[in-house]
Amino acid sequence: MTTTENDLGWLDDITMSQLERNPYPVYERLRAEAPLAYVPVLGSYVASTAELCREIATSPDFEAVITPAGGRTFGHPAIIGVNGDVHADLRGMVEPQLQPVEVDRWVDDLVRPIARRYVEAFENDGRAELVAQYAEPVSVRSLGDLLGLTDVSSDTLRDWFARLNRSFTNAAMTADGEFANPEGFLDADRAKEEIKAAVDPLIDRWITEPADTAISHWLHDGMPPGKTRDREYIYPTIYVYLLGAMQEPGHGIASTLVGLFGEPEQFEQVVDDPALIPRAIAEGMRWTSPIWSATARITTTDVHLAGVDLPKGTPVIQSYGSANHDTGLYEAPTRFDLHRPPLPHLAFGAGRHACAGIYYANHVMRIALEELFEAIPNMERDTSAEVEFWGWGFRGPTALPVTWEV
Amino acid sequence: MTSTAPTFGAALGDRTVPCGPDQPLLDAFLRAGVWMPNSCNQGTCGTCKLRVVRGDVDHRDSPADTLTAAERAAGLALACQARPRSDLTLALDGPAAAAGRTAHPLRDLVGTVVELADIARDTRRLRIALPEPLAFDAGQYVELTVPGSGVRRQYSLANTADVDKVLELHVRLVPGGAATAGWIFDSLGVDDEIEVTGPFGDFVLDDAEGPMVMIGGGTGLAPLVGLARTALARDPGREIHLYHGVRGAADLYDGDAMAELAARYSGFRFVPVLSHEPDPDHRSGLPTDAFVEDVPSARGWSGWLCGPPAMVDAGVKAFKRRRMAPRLIHRENFTPAC
Repeated sequence: MTTTENDLGWLDDITMSQLERNPYPVYERLRAEAPLAYVPVLGSYVASTAELCREIATSPDFEAVITPAGGRTFGHPAIIGVNGDVHADLRGMVEPQLQPVEVDRWVDDLVRPIARRYVEAFENDGRAELVAQYAEPVSVRSLGDLLGLTDVSSDTLRDWFARLNRSFTNAAMTADGEFANPEGFLDADRAKEEIKAAVDPLIDRWITEPADTAISHWLHDGMPPGKTRDREYIYPTIYVYLLGAMQEPGHGIASTLVGLFGEPEQFEQVVDDPALIPRAIAEGMRWTSPIWSATARITTTDVHLAGVDLPKGTPVIQSYGSANHDTGLYEAPTRFDLHRPPLPHLAFGAGRHACAGIYYANHVMRIALEELFEAIPNMERDTSAEVEFWGWGFRGPTALPVTWEV
Repeated sequence: MTSTAPTFGAALGDRTVPCGPDQPLLDAFLRAGVWMPNSCNQGTCGTCKLRVVRGDVDHRDSPADTLTAAERAAGLALACQARPRSDLTLALDGPAAAAGRTAHPLRDLVGTVVELADIARDTRRLRIALPEPLAFDAGQYVELTVPGSGVRRQYSLANTADVDKVLELHVRLVPGGAATAGWIFDSLGVDDEIEVTGPFGDFVLDDAEGPMVMIGGGTGLAPLVGLARTALARDPGREIHLYHGVRGAADLYDGDAMAELAARYSGFRFVPVLSHEPDPDHRSGLPTDAFVEDVPSARGWSGWLCGPPAMVDAGVKAFKRRRMAPRLIHRENFTPAC
């Protein structure tokens, strides 16, 4: 008699550093052998196929939960890990600025000058490292200005998301259900102290003098006259922004570029015809999904799914980066192909907790690539080194050196 | 083109135009004065791709690599190839949505040959007087119908838009070509009637104001002459570099006219370049290489390319190498006629 436990013994050997270096082989095997499986090092069930991820994201038998390391990093109530009235209030707080008609009103004026400024800084150098000099700065500066953090430098914002990231994805658990590396959270604790030291005075000011910044709107919108939301109530969601929303458009820009560099003909097509940029970004987000495995759901009742019994209260980590490589949906998914049939992907999640910033993020990435190709249409990847990707929770290239004739 | 009874209505934006069952959608819209992006008019460039929101089309000769099976399944069609099978509602995606603006209507006219002159090796200038003016923009092209065969060939206009009653075309002999060896270089003579359909194409001036570089291969010079004269009329101080690439000095023409232009406009520069038969009086090599040698940076410039596909491809690469913004690179996409 075979048992699932015996067949899946290899799951015990998975390590965090293996997943962070390259999660694809493990998840390819999971999709084939156990699309819904308990992965010991994560201390959690994991959903790895497109069908399961979509079903779980939209099922009434699941609701959101933050991963343990995520909860330890952000605290409560973070928008990605709450449900019911609190979730409705937080979505109602962040969504007005992110509606397409609203984003259309300001996104070009916000992002294009920032993108131009960063590209002008290196366009005559003949070489650049696009992750640190372009993708990340354009991403953090745009959102930083939108939030009202105009006086916080782009390098500080990049430093904050990197430290929050390492804490959020410090996911390894012991067999006893304890954090395997509790000291891995301490640096983000210090980062949060820095964040509060910078943001508290702004909040103090916006409480008495509302401004047209996102955080000021979060304090005031929908509140009775003279009342504001408590800052401790919105800080976890500020951290959500300072990590994911700051970091991921940068990851998306860089991953799309790496994908295009790997397909020189497609690179030429996109440079020659900027109208193809949105399609290239959609494929880049599928090919290397920035939020690879950072969100989770929990059962609200006993559930039988994919041959597995999940008692009420069982968390499942959603592996969208894996779902977007599901061979049931995508032919040769490891290949970046701008021209593949434009099927929907799960890079922005699905259901009630689908990313609130989809429209904004897509435009940030589009404008960044438009300005880059406009200024430097002759760039080439510096092929003296391979591009390295890193990350299991969040994933993207660690560096992208390019050269061009000035 | 032979007229067919308009039997279907094709709607784009707030305009609905009649379209015959054997009439390409593009032809129907342009004929009614409704602009939509179009370029090669032979199904190979994909510029006129649109979405069939409602109704059914026959894709006819749409090539599989311009319009993939997946695109067909997703409801896309090439306007220059597709014929209606029912009333249609159409939409343009993306930045092409500027379409629907009024353009010069597509016309069928019968003109008269008033000049047919040998101007260079295997090259003729053909002037056609029209019975009435044809509205067009400099850089566009027309189609001529070879008598008796129904074969249609595309030739760029060398005219500026104010010279609208006598069209000027530059024609290169193609050995065995139905329109050239079989007609324009054979039986055609002055005073002959000639069927002209036009204007077509998107190879026209834009709003950019910086310096311009134009590279024409052989008779690809024709539309560039019209574009350069038009740009100089708008802004006499405009910096324009016009490269004419040919095999040998015997292929050069209009040198005097270009010299006159250069004498009149200090920003205009004409550079003939010989690829195969060098002589001491001219630059040698490829015109695209000459540009790269001459211009250290084309940031902020616009570029114009008309000639054989290999030259156009090399031109795009050369322009980008000198960092011209790709959106400012313009190409005539139709393959030179034979």
